[in-house]
Amino acid sequence: MDGNIVGYALHYSGILIEAALILYVARSSHGNRPLSVLPYLSCLLAADLARAYTLREYGLTSRQYSYIYWSTDFLLVISAFFLVCLFFRRACLHQEKMWRFVRLLLAFICLLVVGISGLLFSHNYGNLLTGFIVEFNQNLYFTCLVLNTLLYLLLQQIDSADDQLGLLVCGVGIQFAGPAATLALFHLMTGEGFAQSLAHFTIPLCTIGMLLVWAYAVVHVKDTATQVTRRQIPVLAEVTAHFNIQV
Amino acid sequence: MILAALILILSTAMFFFYFQVTCQKILRRQFDREYFQSIVNANRLEFPSLRKSLEEFGAPVDYPRLRMMLKCDFLALTYLLKNAANVNQRYSNEERLLILYFRWQFLSLAVRRLLKVGEKKAVLRLTSVLQYFANVVGQRVNTVRFGNLTAADYLLNL
Repeated sequence: MDGNIVGYALHYSGILIEAALILYVARSSHGNRPLSVLPYLSCLLAADLARAYTLREYGLTSRQYSYIYWSTDFLLVISAFFLVCLFFRRACLHQEKMWRFVRLLLAFICLLVVGISGLLFSHNYGNLLTGFIVEFNQNLYFTCLVLNTLLYLLLQQIDSADDQLGLLVCGVGIQFAGPAATLALFHLMTGEGFAQSLAHFTIPLCTIGMLLVWAYAVVHVKDTATQVTRRQIPVLAEVTAHFNIQV
Repeated sequence: MILAALILILSTAMFFFYFQVTCQKILRRQFDREYFQSIVNANRLEFPSLRKSLEEFGAPVDYPRLRMMLKCDFLALTYLLKNAANVNQRYSNEERLLILYFRWQFLSLAVRRLLKVGEKKAVLRLTSVLQYFANVVGQRVNTVRFGNLTAADYLLNL
């Protein structure tokens, strides 16, 4: 019972933080608001609300809850992939050549995940929900974790001054890595009570961790990506002015 | 089975990696001036001299004394963080995260000591957390002392 209360408290506080962060980012007039996190945050909030409602109305073992759980999970995984793509775009904001290559790579990876999931699904036909979607979600989820780590390495490689993006990427890393480790442990311990209760707490805790890191990044860290663009304009203007004077 | 074990190891490593990077990014925050000096002098904290001796001279470390120095400074600073010029009398979220990070690094220092690997690095990380805390306390005290006063008001009140 106590465990349930803590679980519910974590779940609902996660929903509250998500809503507060969406409102803050959407309403803030500062230049440093990262709009790229809004689609993922909105999907997270919608998924949490839908799951909470279905759980209360139909119960944990109902077919309705199962449908809602897996379809919202599908939505979340797609939006997570989209989020990582947006972060890549922001990282390559001033490097168009690199972005062209990264864009192709991301499209290829997405197709590869769809292909592999389809192939695995074709070997054991079941219904679409427990077959293809579960397989696809797991594969794309782990791919997002790997892509996020590659993005972090890319930021180090290009010596990015965008601290806000760095923190946003770290938040995503916490959100992806924690549940992946917990679910792997759950799988290894074949669903024992300890692993089950660990998964029950760590997954919402990791989500809250990500939201708090994002909140810190949004509130305290300036978006230097746009500042770099601003800094380039006077240089161009200066050169043009110099050219005009010369002419 | 092997794949699950591999994912468990990789994901756990990535989780701790991201946790550490997040803390280090928070610690990189720039303060408009070095507030920590006044707090260090007023409370006779020892971490700056410890860091200086490690950075400049690479001095051999008396481990029990080092542990005690770090722990005492940590206790003093966390008390100040909570109670000095803090209206809410509680830690902020990033302070909680850094307290957790400090404890994690403190544990890692003991492990590194046993394995005799990278002790200096762990000590420097611990001192950087303490410096951040001292900077936050110093900034708060400074804001409260001069918060609503202009230079003229301050002089008139003397």
